[in-house]
Amino acid sequence: MKLRLKRSLLLSAGLTLAASVAIGCSVQQPAVTPPVAEAPPHPLPFKGRLADGDADAVPPAVAMSLSSNSAVTFSYREELTHDDYHIPLIVSALDPVTYVGAPLGDLGVTAFASLSITDGDRVLGDYTAKVHISKSYSLYSEPTHRAVEQAARVAVRQKIDQKLYRDADRLAVAVAGSNQSLPLGGTSQSAAVGNFDQPAVPAAGK
Amino acid sequence: MSRSIAAILLSAAALLIHGCAVQGRPFEKASAPPDNAVIYVYRPYHYGSSLLRPAVTCGEDSARIGPGGYHAFVVPAGSEPILCSVEGAETADQVEIDPHTRVYYIREEFVWGVLSGHPHLNPVDTDQAHIEIAECCVQEP
Repeated sequence: MKLRLKRSLLLSAGLTLAASVAIGCSVQQPAVTPPVAEAPPHPLPFKGRLADGDADAVPPAVAMSLSSNSAVTFSYREELTHDDYHIPLIVSALDPVTYVGAPLGDLGVTAFASLSITDGDRVLGDYTAKVHISKSYSLYSEPTHRAVEQAARVAVRQKIDQKLYRDADRLAVAVAGSNQSLPLGGTSQSAAVGNFDQPAVPAAGK
Repeated sequence: MSRSIAAILLSAAALLIHGCAVQGRPFEKASAPPDNAVIYVYRPYHYGSSLLRPAVTCGEDSARIGPGGYHAFVVPAGSEPILCSVEGAETADQVEIDPHTRVYYIREEFVWGVLSGHPHLNPVDTDQAHIEIAECCVQEP
């Protein structure tokens, strides 16, 4: 009697699992729109000096446009915050799909970046970007926090780059305008044009 | 004896699953400065729904929304469409919102997947959304 009960329980569990797998496979997932083609990394139309930030940890466009003797300065900052999510252990431990590799949660990182481009006291551009990256983990595979952080850093730098490229023409004009206003032998600090209380341009790329 | 133990276990599991629903303040309208769109993303509570909380991103803001929860995204309405996306363990989904200064409602749904539920973002018309979101609670960070 007990054996028959066990068999029927096993059979029904197997059928339920098979049915859920079959249903899962039958669902047609809509294709996610591919991201808009982004410009490949290339230098900006002007050079700048890194006043704040690590030269090894800046967006590619900025890295390619660095010069130690430029009057234009870049200030770049990145902040990372973690927000991992874990399904409560008491729930996942009782869930059979846990043991076949279902996700048990994910590791999330939000990266916030800000870039200021200035010429003396004159703000030429101010850009911010924020991205959230998450990677799920299961009983058998888990990404490292470092990998997720790195992915978030790369993504936020790309976003800053794209904002810079969209604004490159205006920036080039602003930098050229600053250079033209320089007296011979002067520095940008002493010769920056415009009202110092007002940025040369409204904060862009916010 | 074994039946009563099974019943107790089942009841405990049911209570646990129900206990995972979002427990926040009931729905209230978000205030937004002018020139901003308000996008409510909500996830109606379904018994036995996926306990995963993939991050939903609208504009540059992100939130993890649990079953029975909602989050109001306040996004500057510029000239480019506002992109809302969600990335599950196996699939991702995204919707584009017109950059107008108005209120939008998006329902986050999960469909069956092989190992985990697949998240979807479905824009919902205002009348239907008002009924559904009224049963949701604000997703506390």
